[in-house]
Formats: sequence, C-alpha cells, structure tokens
Amino acid sequence: MPTPTKKKTAQRKNAAAAAASYFCGIDIGGTFTDCVVRDQAGRLTIAKALSTPDDSARGFFDALTVAAGKMGLTLDELMTRTELLLHGTTLGTNALLERKGARVGLITTAGHADALIIMRSVGRSAGLPIQQLLHVSRHRKPEPLIPRHLIREVSERVDWSGEVILPLNEEEARKAIRELLAQKVEAIGVCFLWGFLHPEHELVVKRMIQKEAPGVYVTCGHELINKPGEYERSAAVAINCFIGPLMSRYVGKIEARARELGYKRRLVIMQSSGGVATAAEVADKPAFTIGSGPAGGLTACKFLGDLLGHKNIIASDVGGTSFDVGLVHEGQPLTGSETTLNQYTFLAPHLDVISIGSGGGSIIWVDPMSRTLKVGPESSGANPGPACYGRGGKRPTVTDANLLLGYLDPDYFLGGTHKLDREKALAAMKTVGDQLGMSPIEAASAAVQIVEFQMAELMRQMTVQRGFDPRDFVVYAYGGAAGAHCVTYTRELGCKTVVVPLGSTASTWSALGVQSADLFHVYEKSELFLAPYNAERINEIYEELEERGREQLKKDGMRPDEVSLERYAEMKFRLQIHLVEVPVPAGKLTAKSLAALEKAFVEKYERLHGKGSAFTSAGVELGLLRVTARGRIRRPSLLKRPASRQNPRSGQREIYWSGLRKKVKTPIYDWTRMGAGVKLRGPAIVQMPETTVVVPPGTEGRVDAYGNFILTIVDRFAVTIKG
Amino acid sequence: MAANTIAWDGTTYPYIPPRELKIHRKLRLHSEAAKKVEPVTYEVLRHAMWNVNLEHGNTIMKISGSPICAYGHDFNPCLLDERGDFVFFGPFLQYLSSAASSAVKWTLENRSDNPGIEDGDIFLTNDPWIGATHQSDVTVIAPIFWEGRLFCWVGNTLHQWDLGGTAPGGFNPMAADVFWEAGCIPPIKIVEKGVLRRDLEEEYIRRSRMPQLVALDLRAEISGCNVSRERILGLLKRYGAPALKGVMRKLQDDSEMAFVKRLRTIPDGTWRESAWIELAHPSDRHIYRNSLTLTKKGDKLIFSNEGTDPQAGTLNCTAVAWRGAIASMICSQMLFDQMFVVEGAYRHMEFEATPGTITCATYPAAVSAAPALTLLQTIALAGLVISKMLACSTDESLRTEVQSGMGCAMYPIAAFSGIDQRGNPCTSFFLDPVGAALAGLSWRDGVDTGGWPWDLQSTMPNVEEQEWFYPILYLWRREVANGGGAGKFRGGNPGEFAFIPHKTDRLTLFTATGHAAVPPPGLFGGLPPSTTRYTMRRGANARQLMATTHKLPARLSELQGTSEYPPPKAFNIPQTPEDAFIVAWAGAGGYGDPLERDPELIEKDLLQESVTREWVEKANGVVFDKNGRIDREASEKRRAEIRLERLGGTRRQLAALTSEHARQVAEGLLLGEENGRKVLACRKCRGILCGAEENYKKHCATAGKTMPTANPHILDPQQYIEEEVLFHEYSCPGCGLLLQTEILRRADQPLWDLQLA
Repeated sequence: MPTPTKKKTAQRKNAAAAAASYFCGIDIGGTFTDCVVRDQAGRLTIAKALSTPDDSARGFFDALTVAAGKMGLTLDELMTRTELLLHGTTLGTNALLERKGARVGLITTAGHADALIIMRSVGRSAGLPIQQLLHVSRHRKPEPLIPRHLIREVSERVDWSGEVILPLNEEEARKAIRELLAQKVEAIGVCFLWGFLHPEHELVVKRMIQKEAPGVYVTCGHELINKPGEYERSAAVAINCFIGPLMSRYVGKIEARARELGYKRRLVIMQSSGGVATAAEVADKPAFTIGSGPAGGLTACKFLGDLLGHKNIIASDVGGTSFDVGLVHEGQPLTGSETTLNQYTFLAPHLDVISIGSGGGSIIWVDPMSRTLKVGPESSGANPGPACYGRGGKRPTVTDANLLLGYLDPDYFLGGTHKLDREKALAAMKTVGDQLGMSPIEAASAAVQIVEFQMAELMRQMTVQRGFDPRDFVVYAYGGAAGAHCVTYTRELGCKTVVVPLGSTASTWSALGVQSADLFHVYEKSELFLAPYNAERINEIYEELEERGREQLKKDGMRPDEVSLERYAEMKFRLQIHLVEVPVPAGKLTAKSLAALEKAFVEKYERLHGKGSAFTSAGVELGLLRVTARGRIRRPSLLKRPASRQNPRSGQREIYWSGLRKKVKTPIYDWTRMGAGVKLRGPAIVQMPETTVVVPPGTEGRVDAYGNFILTIVDRFAVTIKG
Repeated sequence: MAANTIAWDGTTYPYIPPRELKIHRKLRLHSEAAKKVEPVTYEVLRHAMWNVNLEHGNTIMKISGSPICAYGHDFNPCLLDERGDFVFFGPFLQYLSSAASSAVKWTLENRSDNPGIEDGDIFLTNDPWIGATHQSDVTVIAPIFWEGRLFCWVGNTLHQWDLGGTAPGGFNPMAADVFWEAGCIPPIKIVEKGVLRRDLEEEYIRRSRMPQLVALDLRAEISGCNVSRERILGLLKRYGAPALKGVMRKLQDDSEMAFVKRLRTIPDGTWRESAWIELAHPSDRHIYRNSLTLTKKGDKLIFSNEGTDPQAGTLNCTAVAWRGAIASMICSQMLFDQMFVVEGAYRHMEFEATPGTITCATYPAAVSAAPALTLLQTIALAGLVISKMLACSTDESLRTEVQSGMGCAMYPIAAFSGIDQRGNPCTSFFLDPVGAALAGLSWRDGVDTGGWPWDLQSTMPNVEEQEWFYPILYLWRREVANGGGAGKFRGGNPGEFAFIPHKTDRLTLFTATGHAAVPPPGLFGGLPPSTTRYTMRRGANARQLMATTHKLPARLSELQGTSEYPPPKAFNIPQTPEDAFIVAWAGAGGYGDPLERDPELIEKDLLQESVTREWVEKANGVVFDKNGRIDREASEKRRAEIRLERLGGTRRQLAALTSEHARQVAEGLLLGEENGRKVLACRKCRGILCGAEENYKKHCATAGKTMPTANPHILDPQQYIEEEVLFHEYSCPGCGLLLQTEILRRADQPLWDLQLA
C-alpha cells in the first residue's frame, strides 16, 4: 500500500505525464557526456557532464540532471515528461577496441573452424593507415576474439542453393555445447556455412544452448547478416557475442533506472546505420552499434539539411585526434555495408565515414630523413595534450599553431574555462621552426596550411572518388577544431559555402543527431536472379521482407502511419565486382518494371564508375534484395534565433594571415551577441563559447534565422583585404 | 657470349636501360627543377602526387570492375619523371614496379623519332622483354606535356583475363616457347593526340577469347592515365613546373638519402641464396636451380643471377620481371618509411643477369608462367639475400626487417573447367593460396596465412563466394599446423583446402607450381616449411560418407579411397564427385635455431593448435611433464643432447674470440678480430670457426639428412623428381648451435652465403 508521500509523487508524475513533451538525446563520448533536450516549441537545452567510464550509466543520468537543472526541473520531472529518450554510445566499440568483452565460444560447420582465425588473410593489414600499411614487417593479425580452443566444429552442410546436403548432427552439437560450457564461456555464437539460406540448423543449436544453459548469451549468424561471406558473418557473430553480455546489462540498467524515475516509453539507441533501435533490439544485436560514433553527427546534418533545403552536404568533423568526413546526397546519408574495426571486417549497414589522423591535437614535426615539415598522424591525445594546455606537452600541435597565429584567444578557450599558455606554444613551435630555419609563426602557418590541405584531400576522396562533384555540395563543419580550418579546406576543395551548424551547438552535435534519428531496420535476402527475372519470386521476397519490417516496427510501438518501407536491389554485371544499389518501386513488380530497374542500374553504374564502364554485354545479375523499414518519429522543429540589437564586435587583435604573410589587426566578434541576420566580411574572428571560427579575407559570414553561421567564399584566391 | 657484346635492346635479350638514354632531338624534355621548395609547397605537392596516383588506381579498379584487380590486386599505377624514373608507385602489386619504368625508357629511346611522342599520346605494351612481367600484364604509359615539352609520365599495369595463345587465361604448362603463348606487343601508340586509335584497338582485342572484357580493361587503363594527367596539369597550372619537378626530385633524393644512410650501416660483402624449381613441363622429372647473389660495394648493391640454370620449358622469366621481383623486397624491407619511392634505391642498384637462364630468358623462351613460378621464387630469394645483408647492419631497427623465406613462394595454380551448376561452361582457378604466410622475423614469429610481403592486402575469397560461382563444395579450408618452418621464431603456417565437384558430373583440372618436391629455405638455422602439395583422393566418396555416417569428412583420414599426388605441372586431370582434390601451399620459413625457441611461445602455439606436441618435441627439443606442460629443466637437458647429436657426439675445442668489438653478422655468427685477422665466431660459445675470408659452412659440423626430417609435411622428393636432394644442417662444432640450413643435390658444394669483404 503506497505511503502518502509516494502517493503525492505519483500524482505529480501523472500530472507531468499529461504534459509529456520532451525529447532527450544523450551521447557518451570519451571525455564528456552530452545531452540535448528539445521541448515542444523546438527550444534546445544543452548540457554536459563528465563521462564515467567505470559506469557509463552514471554519466548518462548526470548529464540529464544538469539539463533538468537548467530547465528548472528535477530529474524525475524531466523523465516523467519525456516523450522519447534517445541514446548514442561507444561502449560496445570501446569494449572491442580495448578487448574487454565476454569469454566467447563458437560453433561452426565441420571443416571450417578456421574462417575466423584466417581472417581471409587480409586481417593482417585491414583498415591500417598508409604509413602502417607500407610497413609489412609490423603486420600481424589481432589476437583472436575467439581462440581456436573455444571453436567447435559440428557436422551439417547446406549448399549455395539452400539445399541440405547433410542434416545437423545433434549429437555432435550437444557435445560441442557441453564442452564449451565446461570451458566457462559467457556467450556462444553459432555460424554455419550458408546458415542464412537455411536458418534451421543454427536455430536448433540455439535452442539446445538455451535449454542447457539459459543464462548464456547466444547469437546466430543469420540473425545478424543475410548474405554470403562466412568470414564477415562469423566476425559479426563473434563481435556480437563479445560485447553482448556487457551491452545487454548496460541498456537494461539504463532502462530500469529511467523507469524508476518515471519514464514510461521505450529507450532507443543509435546504430551505425544512422537510425535508432529499441533497447531490446540492441541487447540482441549490439554489433550494429559498433562504429555508431560518427553516425550521430551525420544524422544531425541530414536533419538540419532538410530544414535548410540542403540536399547535398559534405559533413566534416574536426576533433582532437581525427578528421571525419561523411556525405549526404540527395537528402540521404551515404551508406556502406562493410565495417572494419581493429582489423576485423564485418558486414553491417552503416553510414559511410572516412577519417585521417588530422585534428587539433596532431603533432607538428620535422622528418629527420628528408628535413621537411610534417603534421600528424601522431596526436598528443588528451594527455599531455597540446603544449599550450600546460600539462607537460613539449611537442607543438595544430592547436598550438592556431594559438600562435592568433586564431585562438588564450583567455577565452572553451568559453574562458581553460587558459592557454602562449609561451609554451611558442617554445614548442620554436623547436620545429629552428630545424627548418623558420620563425615559430612561419612554422605555425606552414603546419596549418598542410593540415588544411590534408583535410581537403580527404574530402576530395570522399566525393570525387565516389563519383560526386564537390561543387554540388555545401560543407557542414563541426567538432571542436572545425571553425579554425573550415573555410580554407572548403576553398581548397572548390566549394563555396560552409555552414557552422547552429553556431555553438556544433559542440554537442552528435547528441542533437541522436535526438533527430528515426527507428530504422534493414532486411535482406540473398538470391541470384538473371534476366529474364522471375518477377513472381522477387515480389514474394519483397513482401516477406516488408512484412518483417512492419512487424518489427509494430513491436517497437510505431503506428502504421509512421512506418515507411523502401526497397532496394543490389545489382552487378557478370564477371564484374562492383555492386550497385538501385531503388526499387513499391507494389507488384512486372517484367516491365524490372526492365526499367536494369536501365536504372546501368545509368547509376556509369555515374559512379565512369562513362563507358558499363559492361552490358556480360549480362546483369541481381543478387540481393533489401527492404529498409523506417519508423518516423515526429518531433518539433527548431526554435528560431531572435535578432539582436547588441554590437557583435567585442574588440580586435593581431592575426597572422597566411595568404598575406603578415599580422593584421583583425576584428573579433562575440557569437553570443550575434542575432539572426548579422553579416560580416573577412578577415574576422568569431568567438563562440565552445569554438572559434576563422573568417579569412575573401569570405563573407552571416547568421541565419536558426542561428547557423553561414560562410560564403566570394574570392577563391583572395590574398588582400577588401572593404 | 660476353655480356658487353650483347644488345640489351628488348629483342632477343631483355631491354636493360642505359644510364644515359638516347632520345631523338625532336622530343624536348622539360627538366627545370627548383633547387629549393618551400616546406608547405613540398608537403602539399608530395601529398597531392601520392593521392593523384591513388586516384589513378581507383579509377582503374572502378572502371575495370575485374575481380583480378579488386581481389588479386594484380595491377599498379605509377608516376614517373620525364626520363621514366619513378616518383610514386601505388601500394598494390609491388613486383610490377620495373615494368612501367622500363617501358617508358624503351619508348623514349625507340619511339621518340618514329612515330614520335606527342601531347595526348598513350602507348601500350605487354612485351616481357621490354616492359611487362608476362604477356597478360599490359602496361599503358602516357606522357604529360607542359609548355610544349615532355614533363613527366603516368602509367599503369593491369593483368588481363585472356590475350589469346594456345590456352585460355594465357598460361600453358606444355608451352615449349613463346609462340605457344599470347603474343608480345612492343610499345604501340594506342591513343594518338587524345584519340583512341580504332585500328590498333581492334588489332589488340581481336586476339582475346574475351574481347569485350579486354576492351573494358583498356578503357580502365586509359582513363586512369587521363585522370592522373588532368590532376598533374592542375598542379602545374597552380604551382608551376619548377616547383613540381623540384618536389619530384626531392622525393627521389630523399629516398636515395635514406637508402644510402641505411647502406652505410652495413659492411661490404656478398650474400647468396639458392632455391629449386621442379619440372620444366609435364613429362619432366628434374629440378632447376634459381640463384641470387647480392654484393654490396660502398653505396652500390649489385644483384646477379650467377649460378642459375639455363632456361627450360615453362619455368622462365625475363630480366624485367626479375628486377621487379628484387625491387619489391627492397621496397618492403628498406623503403617502408619512404612511401616505397623505389627510384632512390634504383640509383644504387645494378643488375648483372646472365642471359639464357630461367631468370633472364632470351626470346623466344616461354615466359607466361613467370609470376606464379620463377618471379615469385625470386622475390623469396631477394627477401633472403637482403635479410642476410641487413643482419650485418649496425642499425638495430633495420635488423628487425630481417626475415626468413616467405610462404607460398611459388603459387599452386589449380585451374579447373567444366559445366557449372547453372549449366554454363566455366573455367577459373583458385585464389585461396593468396593467403600465403609471412616468414619468421629476427624478433617474432611469422603470421599464419598472413599473405605475402610484397602484396600488402592480399585477400582470400570466402568459401561461400567460391561455391556460389563454381560447381564445387568445399570439404574443408584450414590452416596447416606445423606447416611453417620451425625456428627460434617459426614461419607462418600455410593453409589447405579440399573440394569435390558439386551439381556437375565432372571437372577437368590442370596444375602448375613449384616447391612440391623441395621446400623453400629457412634462415640462420630456421628449418624449411612444408611443401606445396596437390592430392587427388580417388574414391573419397564424401557424399556417400555423409549419408551413411551423418558426419562431414573434414580431414584426409576421414575420407575413403587412395591418394594420388599430381605433379607440379600436369594437364587434363579428371575429377568426379566421388574424388576429392586437396591443395596445400608451402608455409613460410623458420628463423634461427629451433632449440633456442622460448618454451612459452611453444605453449602458446600448442594452445592455438598451430603446432603438434610430437613435432615440437622433435624440432624444438622440448620435454613435457605428466600434466602436459613443458618441463623446462628436462627440456634444457634434451636440447643439450640434440646439440651434441648434431656434432656426432663430440664437441671440438675451438679457440675463443677474445676481442670485445665483435659484431653480429648473422643470427649465430660474430665478426671479430683476433691477432690482426678478421674471423667468424659462434655467437653462443664464442668459438672461432674460421677466417672471415672463408666459407664458414666448411668449418661447421654437418650431416645430410633426408628431406622429410626438415618438416613433417614433406614427401619423399622421389615422388616427383629423379635427383636425390638432402637437407643439410650446419652447426657450430664447438657447441652445436645450428647456424644455417640448406637443401642440396647429393654432389653439390655448400653455397658460400656470407662472404664479407
């Protein structure tokens, strides 16, 4: 029987629930846990708390508590009124990188236990940056996620057509399970050859495990991936089992705590595909959160792009140690199907993001052999950090260079919360400059130009080499160090417009992205079709996949009108390797619509791979059918930024402009005083609480109605000051 | 014939570019280079040119769409200066490196007058005596002009599906000479002033069984050059010719400086290595010697093929391929931090090839199998002689590049043809052996199925991909325990796979490989690895066994029937669904005396099932206690016994090295000075073996053993060849430390592999 106080709380909660109206996005990063709360009016409240790696759940609720405080609410009031709690986490990714996961056993088809050990051979160098790739004597495969003595072979065999060649030998399966349990495994993966064409064998073994040991975590290959490639499927199963126990405990804990605090809806979690899935789904398939770190940022770009009418966006994220680039094309983030982490490659739909080791913390050094200036890929990391942080860093970094050039205000770093030590930066840069006969300022300027050039090259790779013209794109720049470099790398790439999204919200950009995501699931079926295509069978498969999507979203709590299904086909030319994904119309497909599909394939092929590259006489193969199921979450739009009568100029200081090769007195603007509609011309510096935007000569900036800072390059090669 | 009377012009003898090229007056070169380039421009242009070259490669991969290109990496783009010297070479197949440079230099010398080299032209060649490793590798090169003068070249090489000849795919194990193979095309101007010449294109693709694919690949190669040219022109416009050329020269000079700096840590001397290759054609039963000698004199490296057997049957490669093979290991072991800018090294390398041999074939020898056989083996030999040289370096970090012989040192071609599961004719070969294995290093074990050291990202196809495309069912694919050579640091284990025809009546197979009778060598006492082996299990009855026993036969011992061992050159081998065919490739060599192996590493190997207990007891001299753990004390005793056995039971008293300045010149050898005389001594007991001017092997305790004692996977060589070959161990006569191993025919003298000047 409830006590009177409890009853009172319950009443208050009920009242609050009636006004339930918040969307809370929480993104856990290495240092900070970010929280963005959006209310019914579209007003954003931003909060940060220190991450708590020993128990991430604590940081999660700390950030929410800070946000609630800013809004004048208690944590339970906020939770009670929250309509949706969305979360992005790198917990799984980190567990994998640090190899702090479960003890896992694997059951495979007899004769093929080594697939995961061999790693298709390429595991010795997969995903290595170029410097490491070229150093062969240092290549090695990572320690096996599942050592050979925890892998068991079982007799069973299915062939490429799904035909059972040898039924599952249950006696061997039982023996394998018991041996693994005797080895005290916490999770068991089951991955048979062609298991996705005939899931029964995997499912029988799964049921046997659940019966023998109900507490053991189990994943089957076909539950994660439905296409050929036993290595990538085994790797996905191994990773899923490795982080599964940890992740399911974690999401269970957060959900339970949120419920205690009065939250009644579901917890949803960011996946690497850029969509969210329910906590229950993530507990079963945590592998799909691997590499979801950059997904939030790109999702936020898509969200803002929709609002601003930008269909083509190059998303550039300049962090402390790395520079990440992703694309939104025709309103959709560009996706890939293969992920490599820790030299393991597995198949999972994910947003296509590439990176290099260039960021604020990248170290500036002189190559002793060639006596030339280099920047990165080594980073000073968080500790000791750049020399100017005064934490013992002796080697100069890009941040030190930015400080020496005057881009950064030593007294207003991170809104004045950290002081930067110019003397230390100068001393560090001098060690490099002296080796080359350059002054520290010249060395700083040279290093910044080099790093900006590297960034432009990566953006070029992401666009030109994927068949896109960068001039058709708008650049979005976010992450702590983006503002200092974005105009130059944009100009170098040949684009005209850069958006620093929502001004200083750029620093919690991922949390905003998490908060903007939809529920998203992918269903695939691998089956080979050659012309003339069997329309009946193709229709049958699409209908089955769509049914699964509808079912899942219903389970997720979505109403039918919130569900949208899209069909795709992966097609290729015979004897060729490039798979091209082609959108497929809804409804019953006919011979005619399939012929149109083939035409669309050829067109897209030539756009991606060059005119004349279509090898039409070889014939076209359709090998994979895919359905994406999206549950659209309705949420308020953004609140507009009011105009301001305040004078945005806060002073001036000496800035070294590389194009002019000298220091020039440059006006400084205070972002907090820049209302919508404010315009300015470079050279200028705009100081935001979390970051600084450098506006070089030849550039114009303005604040739009939502508080985005938009920069336009008016003169590509401007070296003189105008106006 | 004396070498100086030979015309090294690419007709009968291979083209060997002279130091000074003879270029016709009417072609003007753009050679101005800035002496000093400011740091930003340097770093920006260096980065840009590397990326231009990568974009060149990606363009080829995109347009070609060929699995050879994407999975086999059988291509590479490059950027060369106006005289055909390398600036950048892509991170794909390294042994292709000498081809494009050689093609450009030949073209400059032989095409600058007639038909002339002009802006917008592109030349094509597949002539292995001029600018290709074998006929299937087609090299395309494009001059880039600036201000009316030739500024630089871009080019690429790409392997083609089929360019005609008597066998599909371009390789015929029966070939007696080049006329059995795809024809050779010396450089032709396929694109003239920007226009693809229709007559020459048709002439080129007409020879192929798959003309449309060849046409597509030609477009890929041309587009790659065009993309690269456009970007280079963009850089010229923005930064000017002197700056760009200045950066090119600096890249070459820096790489040269780094290379020379490394050479200066090494004493002058000569290092040698030999290996054997079997069967010149299917009815042959002999072995042939491939020898490589490396001499270091000051800042020069001289490579020679002295002692290599005369050209024979299908075993040959040209000097173009031979040089590329050597350069690929120079890049891998000595230019890893110089973005593989091989030109810096080329300036200090000389090649002395005796023509008419299997590594410097003269026209019209058959050469189409070169990359799978002699070329690959030469890469392994190059790795070994370079390692022997680096082992003498005073630079400790450079010594970490010292490695034994790579795995899969000759490729086991297992080609098949038949009717596929969908009723279409099919022919292909297995790509599984690209899994290869990396060799034991001077500081750690090799990587099991870790690929090759000259292809940075070799990728095996999935079993499911193979079964999807071809009418086969894999019974197993796994790593081979004990397959890597034993040693202080063992070689990487290779893999093997077994398949039966599936949903087809029969397949027809052909084979071509080497290292079936004789394995590749180990290094510094490391043992040789397993051999390559084809096994045809007649009457294996795998499907029937599944039906009756409900078990999947996943090992040879679980199959019925009898084994046949098809030779390393065989044609028309029939296989029915009742027969299983098994292919195992050779492992990587071991490094150092196996008795010096840390028992902890052995226990780790046992846990990972990379070795068996029986083999490590024998090879590494370890003794196990009742709990299956290694008994350290008993093992030390056992190892001492084995060392004594190596000496036939008696240790010789050796004078001890007293000088303190001795330097290591091999895993087990020290170079010191005693009474004013340079001597070689044992690293373990410091006993003096001999003067430095002598062959230390002649002062070692040695015994010729049968081949199968070297590795449990080696068959009696007589299965394949007539010659009797023996496995020799050379041990310190004072303490029994194993210094070197070698495989010789009965009458052969030990190779003098370490000859310090």
